[in-house]
Amino acid sequence: MSEKTPESNTSHRAPLTLQEHRAATDLCLQTGILLMQHGVESAFVESITRRTGFALELDRVDVAIMANAITVTSYAGPHSMTRVRRNEDRGINMHVAMEVQRAALAFEAGEIDRAKFEKCVRSVKTFRYPRWLVVLAIGLSCACFARLAGADWIGCGFAFVASAAAMVTRQVFAHFHFNPIVGFFAAAFVATSICAQALLMSIGTTPRLAMAASVLLLVPGFPLINGVSDMVKGYVNTGISRIALAMLMALATCAGIVLAMSAWDTWGWVS
Amino acid sequence: MSNAAIISLLVELLQDMALAAVPAAGFAMVFNVPVRVLKYCAMFGALAHGMRFLMMRAGMPIEWGTLIAATAVSFAGVWLAQRLRAHPKVFTVAAMIPMIPGVPFFTTIIALHHLGTRGFEAELFSMALTNGLRTFFIIGAIAIGLAMPGLLLYRRRPVV
Repeated sequence: MSEKTPESNTSHRAPLTLQEHRAATDLCLQTGILLMQHGVESAFVESITRRTGFALELDRVDVAIMANAITVTSYAGPHSMTRVRRNEDRGINMHVAMEVQRAALAFEAGEIDRAKFEKCVRSVKTFRYPRWLVVLAIGLSCACFARLAGADWIGCGFAFVASAAAMVTRQVFAHFHFNPIVGFFAAAFVATSICAQALLMSIGTTPRLAMAASVLLLVPGFPLINGVSDMVKGYVNTGISRIALAMLMALATCAGIVLAMSAWDTWGWVS
Repeated sequence: MSNAAIISLLVELLQDMALAAVPAAGFAMVFNVPVRVLKYCAMFGALAHGMRFLMMRAGMPIEWGTLIAATAVSFAGVWLAQRLRAHPKVFTVAAMIPMIPGVPFFTTIIALHHLGTRGFEAELFSMALTNGLRTFFIIGAIAIGLAMPGLLLYRRRPVV
């Protein structure tokens, strides 16, 4: 399956009517915006949007991706049409990305018809894991990070409790639609405050490692990796904005950590 | 290398891989990776961290070890992506999470904060610089390792 260059969609068929052209462009945008909203890298968004356009019998599709909007210009016969759609971030959801991509690929290969593809893209269900399960998984993950760093079992236990509490904090703040920066700040404060107790009362031999591991759930790993990937693939604009946002999250997290350390007057990270 | 040394290395390797598999799957759940792909996240996470562990034991710097491990996982990801008909990033990013230098990242910012509040101290400055550079290079290595199939093999065509 080779990627078509913009000019190469040259099969002969009846030209699209204005209405068909508009509907096809809209569907293209919908596909692109769904992928963008759920946090996939720009090269992937552009490639799928363009291929969807060709599958929808457009002659040529140009996609421009900005930090919080997507622009599609589509050509059909002598006419062209440019549409912009604003992107609102809905959080990372690989399930949606996978569903949309599979539908687009199946449509491109002719395995499903347009009506079915449209239904799939318009009414994709946002699957989420149950909150308690995520809290448990994150707690275990941070306990494993603590163990990897060489913490003892008590330290791992503290990392588990602190990171689980931080995850709950993050979820509560997200539930009330706070800016993620506020949520990250609060979560870092909660996690560090819990681990500071271990340090204050000298519980276990490695409270510092637990303190460091308990905030690792707040590392913006996905935006960082995506940001560098974007820049490597030539999407420097979106890459920079992803990294800038990730840095802001990290700053908020560190502010939470520092505030908790000053409040309890224990300096775990840097003595 | 004696037998006992090999066995203890193997035990450490398995422990390292098991400890990396849990966060890979745990963070994959935060990213809402579909249930049936979750096991591949855990597997690739263990593979990457285990490879890096062995290479670091052999004396390789952490950045190069990360680059090679990320490249290996990325190629394995292409293989799986073509079977699942999904973009490799759906599961490879979660597999990279255990290798992300979170502690150096936050240490850098906290050390910078202390530099600002306490004034210049050589020790703090060197801490900020070393940790910052380590974070920078490791994250670069992860992202470039993940892009490797596209850079080397799939130059003008998509993976799926």
